[in-house]
Amino acid sequence: MTAFTPTRRAALMGAAVLAMPSVARAQRRGSVAAAIYPGSWEEAFREIVAPPLLRTHNVELEMQPLFAVDQIAKFAGTRGAPPFDAFVLDPGPRITGIDRGMYERFDASKLTTRAQLPAGMVDEWGVGCAAQVVGIAYNPRKVPRPTGYADLFRDPWVSRLGITGFGTTFGTVSLIEIAKIFGGSQTNIEPALAELKKVLPRIAAVGAPAAMPGLFQQGQCDVMYTNTQTVTTLKDRGVDIEFAAPSTGASAFFTTLHIAKGSTNIENTYKYIDTVVSAGVQRALMAAPFNFVPVNSTVPLGAGLPMRSLDEMARFNRHDWSVINPLRAGWIERFNREMAR
Amino acid sequence: MEAGRPGPWTLTLPLALAYLAFFAAPLLMLFAVSFYADERMTRWGLDQWQRFLFDAFHWKVIVDTLLLGLKAVAATLLVGFPLALIYRAASPGWQRVLLFIVVLPLLTSVVVRTFAWIVILGREGVVNRLVLDLGLAAEPLRLLQTELGLVIALTQIEMPLLLLPLLSVMSRIDPNLLDASSSLGASRWRTLFRVLLPLSVPGLVAGCSLVFASATTAFISQGVIGGGRLVYLPSMIWQQAMVVAHWPFAATAAIALLVSVLLVIAVFGAIGRVIGGRLHG
Repeated sequence: MTAFTPTRRAALMGAAVLAMPSVARAQRRGSVAAAIYPGSWEEAFREIVAPPLLRTHNVELEMQPLFAVDQIAKFAGTRGAPPFDAFVLDPGPRITGIDRGMYERFDASKLTTRAQLPAGMVDEWGVGCAAQVVGIAYNPRKVPRPTGYADLFRDPWVSRLGITGFGTTFGTVSLIEIAKIFGGSQTNIEPALAELKKVLPRIAAVGAPAAMPGLFQQGQCDVMYTNTQTVTTLKDRGVDIEFAAPSTGASAFFTTLHIAKGSTNIENTYKYIDTVVSAGVQRALMAAPFNFVPVNSTVPLGAGLPMRSLDEMARFNRHDWSVINPLRAGWIERFNREMAR
Repeated sequence: MEAGRPGPWTLTLPLALAYLAFFAAPLLMLFAVSFYADERMTRWGLDQWQRFLFDAFHWKVIVDTLLLGLKAVAATLLVGFPLALIYRAASPGWQRVLLFIVVLPLLTSVVVRTFAWIVILGREGVVNRLVLDLGLAAEPLRLLQTELGLVIALTQIEMPLLLLPLLSVMSRIDPNLLDASSSLGASRWRTLFRVLLPLSVPGLVAGCSLVFASATTAFISQGVIGGGRLVYLPSMIWQQAMVVAHWPFAATAAIALLVSVLLVIAVFGAIGRVIGGRLHG
């Protein structure tokens, strides 16, 4: 019998044979480049969306942490060669993207979860992936439950009130709702600014949006307008906080996913979107510590939300961002001027 | 030097190229963007500059931003210079301990340090609990969301930037000069003001410039501790760039910040040169 003498060629061939299944698997493996908000969204999608996407569709999720405006700017800067396959956007930037032709037409029939999404969640440009419900947060140990935005301008709430400007979607819709109760409208926020100016010396805090949860947690303010996600997150950390839907109604908006115009990876992008809105992923995103409001109607809503089903959100105040967008820059500047010391 | 052999200047090429690509070029682009007339950046014009310069509110924001920097410089000087004197007089062992304490804030993130100040200055924070427990006030003091609170926080946050160049310069002062001053009959105070302080000027100028530049652009601290009623240029730039997506106006405000901060730093430098000239001239 001839003894087998290992040579380098034989060793390489052996390694190649052993590696073949994994090479084949890797060759089949697809990927999708998705823009994602930095911070908790990025963390949530890495932990909850990426594993089932890989497991079910063999598609790897490559996240690009970008704020909404950065996504729009980055896409605009790369002219015809999209830097990612999917956008995630709030209503304002979403409208900007539509106006600038940044999305592929969205074909909802490609989603296996289509039947589980409420009417209005999908349109020709994309699909909602998380809802946001905006109302009033208050500390029940410090102040009584406010019934509506008008209460925020009276004692005992006004001296414990924390406000933020038009820099965020929740701030913008809240100030619009405040304007409405004082005679303003979706396009006229002057009454809100006039009323705020009257009580400004008594207000506890005028904060940057990102600072508001910290200010509330530290007792700098005990009542503020915010979304349910912030309330649930603070509550999970042991903060005394409750959500109150204003008598004029809570406001709602959706964060949406869109396929970037010119993407050459459309099939995998649909798989990614399908995974994000699937019942299992939406249920996991709703749990602590991420506390998303789900968009899949088969997912039972958490106890902290002011509605028992997504259909109830039809009663909530909605806003037309195609009208708001062109005015928002001016509102931000007005807020700065009116609130500045 | 051998013919054809590259000179030592070639060693600076990588840094010079990186500087050109990642500092000079973006800065030029910033200038260029400020000359777009509209937010979609479709046509050139001076619209953004007109909008910025012919509005009293924007001038107020510039003045407030520069004043904040000057107040932070004054406060860090007030606390930092005596600390530097203590450092100078300390034994080498204590100097190491003091230096570690000075550098310590740099070892934590500015975000962490800023949020820690919410806990300290807040309505239910450490300072207010102490004030209420000692019966010094009936109501919690308003420290957060005020310029006083912001300056207090910036003093701690920026302190290493003053102390590191100051300690470096002070440690190089020849002790014989101080001894000579004393032996010639000068009091400790006279020696401090006539010898030590003038010789420390290069360190003070460098430290003050760093503190000023850092405090005027401390976007996170200004936003979190100062709050929305104190409007400074960095937050205005952020809003225009990130929220409104009006890059030409954001670029204009950014250049205004850059120029105004550089002007004040140039004044610091001029003061340093005048004092240095008197000293050596």
